[in-house]
Parts: sequence; C-alpha cells; structure tokens
Amino acid sequence: MITRQTSMSANVVQFCRFLRTHHFATSVEEEAAALAALLFVDCSNRQTFRLALRTVICKSRKELQEFDKLFDEYWNELSKAIDSKVKTKAAPALRPGSKDASFNALKSWLNGNRSYEIEQTASFSSQESLSQKDFATVPSDEVDELMRSIKALSKRLAAHLTRRYEKSGKNNFPDLRKTLRKNMRHGGELIEIAFRKPKRNRLKVVVLCDVSKSMDLYATFLLQFMFAFQQVYRKIETFTFSTSLQHITPLLKQPDFSTTLVSMNNVSDSWSGGTRIGESLNKFVEEHGKRLLDKRTIVIILSDGWDTGKIDLLEKSMKYIQKSGKKVIWLNPLAGYTHYRPATAAMQTAMKYVDVFAPVHNLDSLRQLTKWL
Amino acid sequence: MISTDLNSTNENYNLEVIRSMLSEQGYITDASVSMSVFLSLQLNKPLLIEGPAGVGKTEIAKVMAKALHTDLIRLQCYEGLDSTHALYEWNYQRQLLHLKMVEHSMQSVYEKEKIIFGDEFLMKRPLLQAITHHQKPVLLIDEIDRSDEEFESFLLEVLSDWQITIPEIGTIKAIHIPQVILTSNRTRELSEALRRRCLYLYIDYPDFAKEWTIVKNKVPAIDAKLGEQICRFMQTLRQMKLEKLPGIAETLDWAMALSSLHLNHLDKTAVEQTLGVVLKDWRDTRQVQMSLSELLETAGVHSKIDNL
Repeated sequence: MITRQTSMSANVVQFCRFLRTHHFATSVEEEAAALAALLFVDCSNRQTFRLALRTVICKSRKELQEFDKLFDEYWNELSKAIDSKVKTKAAPALRPGSKDASFNALKSWLNGNRSYEIEQTASFSSQESLSQKDFATVPSDEVDELMRSIKALSKRLAAHLTRRYEKSGKNNFPDLRKTLRKNMRHGGELIEIAFRKPKRNRLKVVVLCDVSKSMDLYATFLLQFMFAFQQVYRKIETFTFSTSLQHITPLLKQPDFSTTLVSMNNVSDSWSGGTRIGESLNKFVEEHGKRLLDKRTIVIILSDGWDTGKIDLLEKSMKYIQKSGKKVIWLNPLAGYTHYRPATAAMQTAMKYVDVFAPVHNLDSLRQLTKWL
Repeated sequence: MISTDLNSTNENYNLEVIRSMLSEQGYITDASVSMSVFLSLQLNKPLLIEGPAGVGKTEIAKVMAKALHTDLIRLQCYEGLDSTHALYEWNYQRQLLHLKMVEHSMQSVYEKEKIIFGDEFLMKRPLLQAITHHQKPVLLIDEIDRSDEEFESFLLEVLSDWQITIPEIGTIKAIHIPQVILTSNRTRELSEALRRRCLYLYIDYPDFAKEWTIVKNKVPAIDAKLGEQICRFMQTLRQMKLEKLPGIAETLDWAMALSSLHLNHLDKTAVEQTLGVVLKDWRDTRQVQMSLSELLETAGVHSKIDNL
C-alpha cells in the first residue's frame, strides 16, 4: 500500500477522520481503500475524485446522503486553512501570524469541537439508568438512547427465537436408522435412502398493541419495539387497537422508523381514543384468527386492561385465542408497580385465558420477554 | 476489441472502458454506477447494491459477467438458507452405491474412503463453485437480506478468507478470487461487518431521461411519443403513495405491451386496460384508477382538449 506521505494522502486520511466525527463508520480499512482507489482515478477532476471517495467510504444510504455536504464542507474549509493569506472575518482564529492558532482551530473543528471522554462516560451512565427507568418518565433527550437499546434488544430476542429450533446446521443428512428400516424388504440392500432435515423454526408471533389514551405514554416505545422486532424477525404480524383494530405490519416494513411513524399517523384516526378490547379482539379473531392463529403462534397482547367495551365479547375472543394459539402473553405496563392488582373487569376476565402475565414498563422488563418466548 | 484486451491484462481497467463496456451490453448507467463497478474491480472488493425492487440491481451482475467474458454464478438467498446449500454436499446415494459395488473387491478401507470422498462425489454449491472456477467468475449473491443472520456471518468468513474447509478433504483455497456482487432490497438492515467488507452502491428509481433511454434501448420498436408518455406517467406514478411502486422492469413490460398493441399515444382506456402490467396490488390499482385523469394530466399525457 501507499507509504509515501504526499499531501494528498495525508488530506484524505484527515478527511476520513473528519467523517468519523460526523458519525461515519470509517475505519483504517476504508482509509486504505480510499487511498488505493485514488491511484486508479483522475484526482485532478474534482467530480471524479469525489465520486471515488464516496464509493469507497460510504457504507449505507444514510452516509451516501450526507457525504456530499460533508465533502464540500471539508475541502472548502481546508483550502481556507491552508492558504493563510485568505483573511476571513468570520474566522478570526485563521489570522496570519498565529500559525498555531489556525492549526488548533482547524484541529478542533475537525474533531467536531467536542471532548470525547466526557461524552463517553455520560452515555455509559445514561444507559445504566435507562434500563430501570419507567418508559412513562423518560425525558425526551434520552429517547434516542432508549431507541438504540430497544433495537439491540429486539435483535437478541429474534436470534433467540431462531436458535432454539435449529437442530443442526446441515440440511439433507441421510437418516441411517430410517434408511435401514426402509430397506429391510430388499434384504438389507441400501436402495432407498431416507433423509432427515433440521426442524425449521416455525414459531410465529402475533402482537396486539393497545394504543388508546391510557397507553399514550407507552405506545411510542412499544411501537419502536414492534418496529425493531419486525425488522429482525419476519414471522410476526402486528395490530394496533383502541376502539377498532388496525393491521400495521406493512407500515412497519419501512426502512426507518420515522417513515413508519409518518405513515402510521396518516392511517390511524383512532389513536389516543377510548378502548374497546373485546370488540377489537373479536374483530381480530373473525378476520384474521383462522389465518394467523395455529399451534405455533405466540400471541402477545400489550394493554393496560382499562376497557369500556363488552366483557362477554372479550371472554369469547380470549378463549378462542388461547385455544388456537400456542401461548398468550399479556404484557401490562401498569403491572410494574408493586401495588398493582389486575382489578379491572376486563383484566380479570382475560386473566383466565392468559398463559403469562408480565409487566412491560422498562427495558429490563422487555429483556425478560426472552424468558417467555 | 476492448473486451478481449481486458481478459489478458486484468489490471488495466479504466473508468471510460468500464462505462463503454456496460453500455455496450445495453446497461444504461450513471457516473456512480460505473465508478462503483470500476473500483470494485480494481480494489477487488465485493459490491453491495441496495435499492427498491425492479431497478436493475441483479442486472448489473449479469452485464458485468457478459462484459468480462466470464461466467455468472448465482446464489439466491432465502430464509433458512444454510451452508450445505451454499457450499457443498456429498452425494450420499452415489457414495452408498459405490461402496456396494466395491464390497467384494480387495481394496482396503483407506482406499475406499479415498475414492468416495473424491471430487466426483462432491456436489459443489455456488460458493465452492465460485472459488474453484477455472477463471475469475462473477458471483452474484442475490437478495442477501432474505437470508438469516447466521448465514450472513458465515458469508463474512468466506468473503474475507476465500477458502472453504471440508473436513474429509481439507481446506480448499480460491484459485481466482471471484468478483462478488451482493444485492439487497432493504427488507432488513444488514450487519455493519458485512457492509464494511463491501463497496456500497444505492440505486434509486431512474429519472425521466434515464428511464426514457432505457426504454428506447430495450424496446426499439416503440413509438417515440408513446415511449415518452409512458416514462412521464411512470415518473408521476412513483410520486404517489402506493403499496408497491413499479420499477423499471414494469416500465419495460408496459412499453412492450403497449407497443405490441400498435398504439402511438397513451390514452385513458389504454391505461385502464393495461394497468395490471404496472401495478400488482389491488389497493394500488383501485387508487390509481380513481385518480387516473388527474394523473394523466400531471404527467402531461392527456390535455383537456382531448377530452372534449
């Protein structure tokens, strides 16, 4: 690779560092690749130069979109800093005579003007506390942090789901025992061969999430959880309900969460309304029950059990869901409080048909989900 | 010929040559596509292509193989794909039959084993095929986002070491390191580790000019006015909020369908009757049918005067 330090290669390395301060995942490997790539293209042409760097360095669509802006920012700023004769009023630190000052200014600008150590410890501690924090009390500036944790968690959950049923990594292995048995009639000559296959993971998940007014504080996080879960585990169908039922699986299959939120807002008119759990579940059973529920399906219901609907409908639907599903898990955000008792009529009725009743009010409780699945 | 030169001197690609190679094969590119292809050839790095369905991701691999005069080896990913379908498998039936046949011969166990674990009993799957190919092939790993994460990490190992270990034989090293293209529809995010191994290219729906050039190239028989109108209409269609946006493949199908009907311009009835070529979801069809006149108007296809 390149060993000679020309000003061009030094600049490219510095540019990569600059990108790193803007949350690009640019490693030494990309720096090396970028330098190698420049050997093959015409660097005097700025367009080609930019394109080559962009091709090598960007690793996702988000980075692609940001690259051009940062590229301009860096190279423009650099030309200013190098040519110390250029006096700009906006940047007094670049005044000629104080070479050190201009260097320091450039350096600190390159580093994004922030001190790393402080930021790192801060983020670490916040993660510690977040996992215990009730979703309802998360301040808005910690939401990002929480979202990241939820994403990581759902990835682990999905991996857990797949691993359990994976018996062997190899497919189409001959099954000796069956083969011998099958060929007894041929006098032990092996003519037909029986194969065995690893059991495929057929576990399906159906999520029914309450988005009524009383769930408002939790819905965003639960949605994020459902979104992240949908991204990593495919056999999952998601519904939201308040006064009526809505199938949101297609909405969750978007590349990023913000798009999902936007399209969700467009379709959901019943958000933050009242709750009619019985009617909603009944609609689910009638319209989707036959298709979605079988003995390999786990049904997760996220609701606080505050209900204004018909109890007998709820009972009927819950009975059906439990009978035809593999397991019914009711996650209740209120159950995290020590003095909580499932006292509402709806909750008491539903409890009879629930296999697992668990709290879901913070990250820790989401993590506990692994135990039930 | 440019391309024959390329085979002998592998090192001498140049950006212009790549561009003309791609367009010679009928692939309409823009600067970022040819740069990506060029650098992935030069740096010997896999190329990860993302983008919506039907914008010609897979096509790049096919065109590349043709342009480089080499073979395309394709591995289609699906959920549950595992290493035996990607790498190799022993032909058990044949092994058993063979053993039966040599049952009474005087060969020692060692000799017999050596034969049944030989090359002819090994069924090569795409990855093994690719690294043992007699010339540098193009390896297309299609829709990697559909495979599960276990396979993704397994693939990482192969992509970095270029060797495959078969317990009965030993380690097989790549004769020629294949040119790898991975495609993904972004149904799930790929791991950072995999991204870092690859060059990244995002292909979006084409703009009008590019789409029109593609249509002209692929459906040469088409009436100029009709073709232009089709492309305009498609551009407008993609602005709508549909369940499934039509890609270039749909545009081409539609252009072919309409041109075989010998139409020379787009009108409302023609669109209504052939909408099924473009839209594959009943909700989309309904939505478009309801706003068809508006759509045609924004696309500039149908002026109000025609209606009178």
